[in-house]
Amino acid sequence: MNGIAHTLLANSDAQAVNLALLMSALLFACGLVGFLSRRNMIIMFLCTELMFQAAALAMIAFGKVHHDVSGQVFVIFILTVAAAEAALALGLIVLLYRRRETLDSEAWSELKEA
Amino acid sequence: MDFAIPSLAILSSVTQPSTVLAQAEGVVGSGLVLTIACAIAAIALVLLMRPGPTGVRIAGTVGGLAGFAILVVEVLKRAGGEEASLGTIFPLIFSFVALAGAVRMVTHPRPVFAALYFILVVIATAAMFLVLGAEFMAFALIIVYAGAILITYMFVLMLAQQSPVENEGGAWYDRVPREAGSAVLIGFVVLATMSEAFFSKSSQSFRDDVAERTAVDGMESAWARLDSMPKLLLETSQNAVALDWAKNRPEGDKSPAPTVTEVIRDSRGSAIRMTDDQASIEVRLADGTSRSVTLPPELVPDNSRQIGVDLVSKYPAGLEIAGVVLLMALFGAVVLARKQIELGEDERRELAGMRRLTVDGESGGSGGLR
Repeated sequence: MNGIAHTLLANSDAQAVNLALLMSALLFACGLVGFLSRRNMIIMFLCTELMFQAAALAMIAFGKVHHDVSGQVFVIFILTVAAAEAALALGLIVLLYRRRETLDSEAWSELKEA
Repeated sequence: MDFAIPSLAILSSVTQPSTVLAQAEGVVGSGLVLTIACAIAAIALVLLMRPGPTGVRIAGTVGGLAGFAILVVEVLKRAGGEEASLGTIFPLIFSFVALAGAVRMVTHPRPVFAALYFILVVIATAAMFLVLGAEFMAFALIIVYAGAILITYMFVLMLAQQSPVENEGGAWYDRVPREAGSAVLIGFVVLATMSEAFFSKSSQSFRDDVAERTAVDGMESAWARLDSMPKLLLETSQNAVALDWAKNRPEGDKSPAPTVTEVIRDSRGSAIRMTDDQASIEVRLADGTSRSVTLPPELVPDNSRQIGVDLVSKYPAGLEIAGVVLLMALFGAVVLARKQIELGEDERRELAGMRRLTVDGESGGSGGLR
């Protein structure tokens, strides 16, 4: 029993899982920083996509730990939500751009129509 | 590309830092090393975010690489490896590429380049998925993200881009970040919390424990998915019989392997029998005899087959909801993109096949009666 566990989870596997978790944490932090600090609305939404990526990576890494493909199935749902979000957010951004002729999110900080 | 030259110097010093870290560990606790590395990386990111002289940018790049190197070494040490094996080289490269792409994406003043760097991140993430054994999701990620979502972003960027100001390059709101310091501070807090949650001693040992405990279960459920794929089950059993036949037949015997006509299922409808860590299967051969064959591990159903079976057998409701979400997004996008056209009285009468009220060229035709 121990034998197969060790062949299935060779040492490099644990290292790969740890690196993937580190990468997912770093990507999530980068996406968060970008979302908070960039002014361009398109880049802000691109940064949310980066956070989606980080979440998907963590899902797959933990799925690898648990020897279960459920983590990968959930990534399909993450992809679905990301695609839907991209379609809607980009449509909204184009509408907002038509009104103010700028992508600067500060232009909308008063939350009222010009 | 400003990290190209310092990265060589840092990467060559990566081979040595474990001794430096071992000395550092005597001074501070091992849990603090991660936090300190996160702080170094955060300070480097602040330096990179503001438009500044080249020296500042190089300092930020070197600091970021140093923080990343410490994080990687510390994380690899926690995985229990005596030395970095060849198998960790690729994940190392991919995570470095993804991080560099993400940082450039966050700091690049031109949105189109930021989107291109995001494609780099997507590709590196997909490569990481491959390393983790998720082949299907890796290719789905490339197709959906790099192929579809990013193209949409590119089109919107081109539609909504403001023409760059002469000799300044890009709109000002792309060049100057908003409160970079506090944003990076929040990012640092999140990163430090997550690295502590992922790599503390207790969670590391929990993860190792789970991985060891579920290895056999994972193998068993991987085999059990064959039960819901009768055709593949028959094919797999035929292959197993052929392999068994090739191994056990006497020298010089060239006769073909016996044909499997049926796989015998037990009273619960399951064909796979697990004893310890060996999966075996009982088959009826063409000559009417039945026998038991062990299934070699290389015949286990591949990743995309397992995901497909799990998706429709364990999460059918989620699949339906995903479809509804996509449909609603389609409706929403259509509603948003539709341009409202105000028709005047004359145009409406014209559409209805009626005579215009006003003579052509006379003012007040459009919307005149409202």
